[in-house]
Amino acid sequence: MPGKNTTRAGGSSGSSWNLKEICELIDVLVEREISEFEMEKGGVRIRVKRGNSPAEAPAVTVLPANASPTWVPPPPPPVPVPRPAAAEAPAEGASESAEDLHIIKSPIVGTFYASPAPNAPPFVQLGDVVQVGQALCIIEAMKLMNEIESEVAGEVVRIYVETGQPVEYGQSLFTIRPSHKI
Amino acid sequence: MFKKILIANRGEIALRVICACKELGIPAVAVYSEADRFSLHVRFADEAICIGPPHSSDSYLNVASIISAAEITGADAIHPGYGFLAESAHFADVCETSGLTFIGPSPEVIRLMGDKDRARKAMAEHGLPVLPGSGVLQSAAEAAEVAKRIGYPVIIKAVAGGGGRGMRIIKSEDGLASALQTAQNEAAASFGSPDVYLEKYVASPRHIEFQVMGDKHGKVVHLGERECTIQRRHQKVIEESPSTQIDSETRQRVGGQVIRALEKIGYTNAGTVEFLMDENRNLYFLEMNTRIQVEHPVTEMVTGLDLVKLQITIAAGEPISISGETVGLRGHAIECRICAENPETFAPSAGKITGFHTPGGTGVRVDTAAYSECVIPPFYDSLIAKLVVHGRDRAEAISRMARALEMFVVEGISTSIPVHEKVMADADFRAGNFDTGFLKRFSANGAEPS
Repeated sequence: MPGKNTTRAGGSSGSSWNLKEICELIDVLVEREISEFEMEKGGVRIRVKRGNSPAEAPAVTVLPANASPTWVPPPPPPVPVPRPAAAEAPAEGASESAEDLHIIKSPIVGTFYASPAPNAPPFVQLGDVVQVGQALCIIEAMKLMNEIESEVAGEVVRIYVETGQPVEYGQSLFTIRPSHKI
Repeated sequence: MFKKILIANRGEIALRVICACKELGIPAVAVYSEADRFSLHVRFADEAICIGPPHSSDSYLNVASIISAAEITGADAIHPGYGFLAESAHFADVCETSGLTFIGPSPEVIRLMGDKDRARKAMAEHGLPVLPGSGVLQSAAEAAEVAKRIGYPVIIKAVAGGGGRGMRIIKSEDGLASALQTAQNEAAASFGSPDVYLEKYVASPRHIEFQVMGDKHGKVVHLGERECTIQRRHQKVIEESPSTQIDSETRQRVGGQVIRALEKIGYTNAGTVEFLMDENRNLYFLEMNTRIQVEHPVTEMVTGLDLVKLQITIAAGEPISISGETVGLRGHAIECRICAENPETFAPSAGKITGFHTPGGTGVRVDTAAYSECVIPPFYDSLIAKLVVHGRDRAEAISRMARALEMFVVEGISTSIPVHEKVMADADFRAGNFDTGFLKRFSANGAEPS
């Protein structure tokens, strides 16, 4: 598990942005006449976009990848709070990146197992195409084995954790490149 | 001693337990909801596990998540704090079957005291005075008969309730039958059981509670009383120790009765026995809280003890090292609960704290998990800090509290600091003349809605 003073955001590495880095990012944008740039660090994604006129100051948007310090969610809706990855899509519109990746996050606290049994092959490997509802892994909690199912159909492009690793609620497990755009 | 303690709570009490763990050299595991990702208890724990989304039911009340977090971190004990699962006998049971030590009394004792009717009966049986009243009411006729015998006004309370909830005052026989029906319906809806009982209603009571500690070797001690009469809608606002209404003879006598009753039921770990005091200074057992309380620092200040450390060492099997029934109380301590709320309307005030400076100096203690630039989430209770002062006597404590309140800066949200300042300046409060209706009348005089 992460030691003290590192970010607790599941699956991410390194600490989050500091002001100097954001300023440097803006300088690079201006210098190189780049119109738009987006990067995630420490669980916080920053998008910097230049205006059309050279004199216009770049707009910086901080997108909460997990939760930002000022995040206050809306009143509880009858359906679960939409995943941050999905929530960003409608907000950004045309400046959406070409890749529409879906991160499967752990819905419970427990121990991750990639295979259904100790010597069995893993449920999925990188490059596998999975269907909605297909079992991706098991998370064991209080001696119960919980199968975690995929919410989307698509290709497994990243696996964040390994067998035996403890996982917390919201920790990234897999990235799936969905087969169909939403 | 424990290898690792998981704290099943948040905010200032989680931080408080972390303090005790650090001083005892025991690694602490924090659990947190997504809304508490940037909390101080997460920062200062040795490990932290996210256990769910913001709502308590999915996180801090989620037994499976918490037990699972203990499993994956290798914690061997759980401190439940106060509120949340602290008085859940079910949670204590699950801890036991999962091989974890629950830092608190046994599930049986939690269950006994959680049932207000059984608790009353047990305490009465073991010699504590209780308000005249009934057992679980079986019919309106029984209620009428008991009420007539006790004398009106009476109060109907839910057996599974507590903490001031699920109560109804009845002034005469006319209102009894319908009030009984409504109370039973409400109790069923709110607490899962329609069982209610009846008690004599004391119109202008004071609230006196005794702090107790029991070890696993049969010893129980009391640590004096706290007076918690200044309340708003049955929620404590200001607490102090000792009480102006309790002399040393009474303290010794009632303390002794409490100890003997608790020894008989096998009470272990921290607890608070709550009493109502009537106009004639008679004490009546009200209920018992089988956990550490919000206002425990008041007792720590007048006894010099660390109650949370004691909870941990007791749970690990160490005997209480106090000889005799109690320790002496020194000086006077007062606590003001600083809440994130509008001081006039008492509406909760969530949001970002933009400026934060806590008072210091002689005899001042602040227990808080708030900090400059932190966000007070809307999902949990509104307590943001406990300001506790100690003085050589009550007068010094009051003047110290007034000074400390004045120097407590919280910007960005509204707090109840102005209310506390007014109370400290109030002549009746300073004279010790008040009952549980104090704050309501106080507000009415100040033209504030109650």
